[in-house]
Amino acid sequence: MNSTAIIEIQNLSKTFKGATEPAVNNISFSINKNEIFGLLGPNGAGKTTTISILCGLFPPSSGQVFIDGKSLETQLQSIKQIVGIVPQDIALYPTLTARENLSFFGHMYGLKGKDLKNKIEIWLEKLGLSESANRLVATYSGGMKRRVNLIAGVLHSPKILFLDEPTVGVDVQSRNVIIEHLKEINTEGTTIIYTSHHMEEAENFCTKVCIIDNGKIITQGTPEELISKNESTTNLEHVFLQLTNTKLRD
Amino acid sequence: MISKLIASVKKEALLLLRDRVGLSILFIMPMVLIFVMTLIQDAAFKTINEKGIPIVFVNNDNDSLGNQIANGLMHNDLCSYNDSINGKLATAELAQKAVADGKFLVGVVIPKGATEAIRKSVTNLVNQTLDNSNLKASTNIAISDSVEITILIDPVAKKSFINSVTSNLHEFISEIKTKIMFQTFSEQIADVIPDKKNAPKSAYSQTQIIKYKEVYASKNEDKIIPNAVQHNVPAWAIFAMFFIAIPLSGSIMKEKNEGSVFRLHTMPSSYLLLVNGKIIVYVLVCMLQFLLMLTVGLYFLPMLGLPKLVLGNSYFAIFLLTMATAFAATGYGVMVGTLASTEHQAAIMGSLSILLLSALGGVWVPSYVMPEVMRNISAFSPLNWALSGFYKLFLRGGNVSHIIYDVLKLMFFFFVTMIIAHFAHTKKRTV
Ligand SMILES: Nc1ncnc2c1ncn2[C@@H]1O[C@H](COP(=O)(O)OP(=O)(O)O)[C@@H](O)[C@H]1O
Ligand SMILES: [Mg+2]
Repeated sequence: MNSTAIIEIQNLSKTFKGATEPAVNNISFSINKNEIFGLLGPNGAGKTTTISILCGLFPPSSGQVFIDGKSLETQLQSIKQIVGIVPQDIALYPTLTARENLSFFGHMYGLKGKDLKNKIEIWLEKLGLSESANRLVATYSGGMKRRVNLIAGVLHSPKILFLDEPTVGVDVQSRNVIIEHLKEINTEGTTIIYTSHHMEEAENFCTKVCIIDNGKIITQGTPEELISKNESTTNLEHVFLQLTNTKLRD
Repeated sequence: MISKLIASVKKEALLLLRDRVGLSILFIMPMVLIFVMTLIQDAAFKTINEKGIPIVFVNNDNDSLGNQIANGLMHNDLCSYNDSINGKLATAELAQKAVADGKFLVGVVIPKGATEAIRKSVTNLVNQTLDNSNLKASTNIAISDSVEITILIDPVAKKSFINSVTSNLHEFISEIKTKIMFQTFSEQIADVIPDKKNAPKSAYSQTQIIKYKEVYASKNEDKIIPNAVQHNVPAWAIFAMFFIAIPLSGSIMKEKNEGSVFRLHTMPSSYLLLVNGKIIVYVLVCMLQFLLMLTVGLYFLPMLGLPKLVLGNSYFAIFLLTMATAFAATGYGVMVGTLASTEHQAAIMGSLSILLLSALGGVWVPSYVMPEVMRNISAFSPLNWALSGFYKLFLRGGNVSHIIYDVLKLMFFFFVTMIIAHFAHTKKRTV
């Protein structure tokens, strides 16, 4: 095992019940400490499935995962403590206010009292939600919901943060705020694993990327490495299109 | 751990408070139901009560039994007594026709020589007793009861009504029969045995006990017939408590669909903790509902001129039974919410099954007026366990010892639903 690797994935596969093709097909990679790792791929590539396995939502069909030196299979509970999750779908209670949502999720991550209150206020302030935090989440715009969704995953200062398409469907302003704060969290020591199909964002944000399609790894490396591999490509989107071809996905 | 539980209770309470539809299902609907159903049923009872049940009485006996029954019916406020039809003295044939035509709701025919027959059988018994020197063995000889009294019933009369009337009639007639028997019996014994202090007295009382059991024991359940308030208040309160399954299962489904479940399942807190938070909140809500319904029965129904709800003697037993019912209802809701795949499905599954269970359980029509077969099925509905428990408390003044079996059954039901929910949940999570 690589000494600086915080996540180690070996021959991971997942075939859903009743499915004929595996959603994740024998993938292996490792993620170093303090990296911003981009798991990229078109719709249906298997990004969410991979992240879900890493978070312990369901077990893989085969393969092994080690997170911070612990086996996902046998030490899931202690892994859960050090991991933060920002799911692809907004995971908030629409009939609770942002503060109530964050208070509940904060408690579930073992925070409480003044400490929790302070953290909530700091984050609401950072992401420009202080004014509206007593409104029901149901009344929020898509971008605001994304930002609350993000806070719910980072309140407990996790060592590792999984983000599944955190910027999907938000305006440029929200996107920039989110990316900016993710970078900040990263410089404070959090390893970030992030999925996206937004190549320009990934190219600027990630220190390392892995492109998957149909559940298989197509290529991985730093964005610069991948771009310079082929003379005709000048950015990550070119690389992506060349490798995954232009056929429409569902 | 405790702070996590408190947080999840708080979250659940907030979610419920903001669910206006859910709240109105939980609190307004059952109140409306109690008012409407009680008023309807009470009105039906009143029309009969005011004039009395039209009864035609045919006394072919013209002796103690017939006369005493006639006398009893005449002086009963519930009955409007008649012994003639269209000016003619009633006969068995005329009475049958008149009842069939709906002129009377009930007819009672006492056969010729009924009193004599009773006397005869008692005399026989006494003779046998005296022939046998062992007085204790004599108690084994049953009093033959061959007198056949016919009760005619208007075929269109409501089943519930008939049951209450006939069971009262049966009881009343048996009472008089027994009275005559013992009268005869003691006369005979007095004639034969001059020394009354001796053994025959014990035989007398032993016989009385046996006879008493024969007459009443089988009717014990039917004897207690609640009025509209005593039935409707607990019945609809229980119904409402079980209806909690709809908002509760809805809240579970919403959590699944709104994606919160992704976070809930990847958090370092067990899912059980969240479920416990739900259970605590909904059990409390159930108990609150019950309290509200009791308030309606105690204070609001009397305002409408309806009888006041009578609570019985043991508040602690009421509390215990309410809590057990609340757990059973909450468990049922969790189970439905776990088994269903969509919110819509949960709502339909929940409401239909509760309508069914409540109908079977005797909420709509009390189970004591159901036919035997249905009554047996009824015994499988947890709503019936709860309701019969409350009958015991409210109508018979029972205490904890009388309802403990119902409480245990309801708690057992709760555990079964939780186990089913657990397995369904585990199965659904394996993808
Ligand atoms: N719960 C599930 N059951 C069955 N198939 C699923 C499930 N979740 C995802 N899939 C399938 O697995 C494949 C990968 O999906 P996903 O990981 O969500 O892709 P991505 O996140 O990259 O868009 C898709 O073909 C999808 O239809
Ligand atoms: Mg996805």
